[in-house]
Amino acid sequence: MMKVRNLKKSYGQGSEKVEILKGLNFDIQEGETVALIGKSGSGKSTLLSLLSGLDRPDSGEVFLNEKNIFEMSDRELAIFRSQNIGIVFQQFHLVSTLTALENIILPLELSGVAEPYERAQELIDAVGLSHRAHHLPSQLSGGECQRVAIARALSIKPRILFADEPSGNLDEETGEMVMNLLFEMVKDTRTTLVLVTHDLELAQKCSRIIHLEHGSIG
Amino acid sequence: MIFKFFTIKEFKKFWPFYGLVVFTVLLGTLGLSGISLISSKVQGELNARAKELLTSDFALNARRNFTEEELKFIEDLKERSEASYKVVDIYSMLTLERTKDTRLVEVRGIEEGFPFHGSIQASEPLTATGLYISEDLERLWGVTKGDTVLLGELSFQVKDIIRKDSSVGLRGFSLAPRIYLPLKDLEKTGLLKFGATGSYAYHFLFPRYTKTHLENLKKEVFRKFTDPALRVSLPENSSGQTARAVNMLTNFMSLAALIGLILSLVGIFYLYQSHFAARLKDYCLLYLHGLSKIKLITWLILQFTVLFTFVMIIQVSFFSTGYHWIRPLLESNLGLDLGESISLDVLVFQIPFLYALSVLILVPLLLGLLRTPMGISLKSSKIVMGQFRYYDFLPFIVCLWFFSWSLSGSLRIGNIFFGGLLLVFLVSSLIVKVWQWSILKVLSPKHLRFFSLELGVALRQIARSGHKLTFSFLSLCLGATLISLILQLDIKVQSEFELKEEKPALFIFDIQEEQIEDLLKIAEDLKTPLEAVTPMIRARLETVNNRPFERKKRDIKLREEGDEEARIRNNALNLTSRDFLSPSERIIKGKDFKEINTDKALVSLESRWAQRMNIKIGDELKFDIQGVEFEATVVNLKEIKWTSFYPNFFVNVSPPHLEGAPRTYLAILPQTYSELKNDFQRAVLRKLPNISFIDVENLIEQIWRLFLKSKVAIELISILSLFVGLVILYGLCHDQVYRRYYDLALFKGLGMTTGQVRKSLLLEFGLLFLISIITGLLLGWFMAQVISQEAFKLSWSISVERLVIPGVILIILCLATIVVSSYRALKGQARDLLSEN
Repeated sequence: MMKVRNLKKSYGQGSEKVEILKGLNFDIQEGETVALIGKSGSGKSTLLSLLSGLDRPDSGEVFLNEKNIFEMSDRELAIFRSQNIGIVFQQFHLVSTLTALENIILPLELSGVAEPYERAQELIDAVGLSHRAHHLPSQLSGGECQRVAIARALSIKPRILFADEPSGNLDEETGEMVMNLLFEMVKDTRTTLVLVTHDLELAQKCSRIIHLEHGSIG
Repeated sequence: MIFKFFTIKEFKKFWPFYGLVVFTVLLGTLGLSGISLISSKVQGELNARAKELLTSDFALNARRNFTEEELKFIEDLKERSEASYKVVDIYSMLTLERTKDTRLVEVRGIEEGFPFHGSIQASEPLTATGLYISEDLERLWGVTKGDTVLLGELSFQVKDIIRKDSSVGLRGFSLAPRIYLPLKDLEKTGLLKFGATGSYAYHFLFPRYTKTHLENLKKEVFRKFTDPALRVSLPENSSGQTARAVNMLTNFMSLAALIGLILSLVGIFYLYQSHFAARLKDYCLLYLHGLSKIKLITWLILQFTVLFTFVMIIQVSFFSTGYHWIRPLLESNLGLDLGESISLDVLVFQIPFLYALSVLILVPLLLGLLRTPMGISLKSSKIVMGQFRYYDFLPFIVCLWFFSWSLSGSLRIGNIFFGGLLLVFLVSSLIVKVWQWSILKVLSPKHLRFFSLELGVALRQIARSGHKLTFSFLSLCLGATLISLILQLDIKVQSEFELKEEKPALFIFDIQEEQIEDLLKIAEDLKTPLEAVTPMIRARLETVNNRPFERKKRDIKLREEGDEEARIRNNALNLTSRDFLSPSERIIKGKDFKEINTDKALVSLESRWAQRMNIKIGDELKFDIQGVEFEATVVNLKEIKWTSFYPNFFVNVSPPHLEGAPRTYLAILPQTYSELKNDFQRAVLRKLPNISFIDVENLIEQIWRLFLKSKVAIELISILSLFVGLVILYGLCHDQVYRRYYDLALFKGLGMTTGQVRKSLLLEFGLLFLISIITGLLLGWFMAQVISQEAFKLSWSISVERLVIPGVILIILCLATIVVSSYRALKGQARDLLSEN
């Protein structure tokens, strides 16, 4: 489903240049749950930003359903992302002026889904927050914000879901609850999941672990 | 020491922020300090010239001949003083024999010794023989030394042209240029007849008297004579008269500059709010390491004090060098020699106020920091600053009120200004609340779309940004209000002083009763009908409802609004008697004379005059007309448009009750006969030389020139305020957009294109600009209507182009600002949202 070929990325210039990803090659199958683990600075987030089309590599290719996403223009990529890719961030990143429900509706309307409200309502029910649907993010707890973020990411029925340390900003109990919810929903919707985490225990819940070390797969 | 270390580090690390704070404070205070400095400089010069303006140490004057008893006292004063002389001022027409042109002049009859102080310089020293004319007459009329002029019943040869007259105040609007001649010659001209507009004065020289001695002498006069018509002039009063015009102008400009300062304070508040929010984590860390909140706040105030001191140093340097550039411009406009250097005392006096205002605007934020639970904040995922309360602004508001009162030099004007500010604040807050509420009502919970997704997102942003929107709205609204106020006042005054058909060409006065027939005959011969022939009767208000109406405000320091009241309370007044309303009069309360069937005398009063004198409909007034008492009942109050230049009076008594009372007459020559006004004046002066004219066209032109001078100054201040507003706007937009850096990146991450995000931003800010600017422009228009109605009795009107054009320009400027300030934020990438970025 996703093919990664000779993916390279570096930051800085000249002698200051640091190679973050040193020519990565791997595949991800449909419905697979993959954990990306590694120490800080190993290139996990950089890889995630490239796989999700948030950034462009120095060289290399990422195919999603046989389409090289880096051949698309910024505009095409933005549209493609809005229809095929879901992302859950560590800091939740909900739009502060939109309610929980509106945060879920936003990507649905961007991708042109026919009945966004009904779909968003289903999802907010699914994450157990229908009673908080019309609250602003500032009125929600961290766990609630992350549940909304998961619902939002899954709202467009993405082909692949990227989750960047989704429990990193939550206490242990809430984090576990949120992760269970995430795995459940991914399983129910048969969505492919790429999870960036430090937590080995959490990584072991995934069907495969990719260990990154100094920009290469270890 | 540690404070010093941290302060230097802080300034180095956050230099763009502190640079912007310095720039904002500088812009906000620059206009105000500049105006205060210039105003104090002009005042200082006027005070220094006070004796020269009066020409003596002490003067007794009246708009009538002195009584026997008064003359006895004057004789006594002559003995006590070192020297004295008599001066008589009268307005009259002067005819140039060579061209037969006539012109209204201020004739000053003088005696030997004039002036004790100052100098009247012609090519040779002024003597009390021969007729001297002012340079204005030479310039305007081409009169030269040796020309023959007709004054009243006599002809004179011009002895010399006066090049410098230290007894003339600020050059600006004056009814007529001045001429000097010996008093004995003036008496022979026949101009000093009853009813002529003359002023009689005795001046004394008291070289050894101190200010207290002179004040005591003044009290002695008032103890001895209760007649309010008798006045005492001391040097300080004489400068006050001429300084009042400058005062009013500079006070108005100071208030305009104060708006600039307020805008900059709003900007400082906004800048610090963002800065504190961004630095809160560091403050929490400092707190954990033992820096108490009080010490933290002291440190922050110290930092600001350093910045403020820096701004003041820049200002002082700027004004000490910049004064030399603007001095020639000021001197040519004000007709004053302002001197080489400028004293910065007034700036030093103003600094504590400016500092207090700047610090007090930060008090709510500092209290917010005090309320922040810093110990536990670091544990939570998001550090939130403690909220400020609305009452935290109270010290700032009180200080602002005090400052606006002190700047305007009048409690009433200060209150009106402060009230205007409060109105803008209340209206802005109300509009924002209603706006936010109605958007939320209209928005569908089922869709983000409202015509388009971008508009839907923009509207939600507006509806849910709380008090941040109020601040943005308020600062924009204040700026737009000021601009609109000035533009609307400008057009109103402009249109009011434009020569229109209904304005007369000539205002004719000092007509004796027996001359009316001759005057009408001359008018008929020239086919120039005279209009509004109105009697003018000199009277004194004795009692109101049998209570004496006496000298009350003689010793108080006069302010603009109290001046007229005091003048009228202290003086005889001129009243008229007619049973019709002039085109510029309108009864606003009570009944017209014709509607009341009674034999008793009725009286109609100008409403504002009645209000100030505390006289109401139904009150019984007793007048003294040349020693004869006369009673009348107030039956109506009327509104008068004084700028119409029609013969109008504060008091009108129903005819025929004043038949037989000594009187002179006023009349007008309509504008339609403007081209015949010179022929008419010549013909009248040949036959009736004591009659005087005011050339209304010329007068309007003079007022217009004065207005244009003021306008330039006010426009400069407005442009400075607008510039402050734009800088604040930039800071505000930049801050708003920057705060949403991650939101904007998120929109991109969720699939919005950069174009869509930009469109959404432009829609949001565009709507904010549109509504706040429209509100500001309308509020400015409203304030201009109220001020012009209150101050000039002008009717309400609207200049659409002066609302639309600045509105469009302001919105375009604002949108350009948002495009520039959002440029960096829109470059933000969604990858920045990831944990390791």
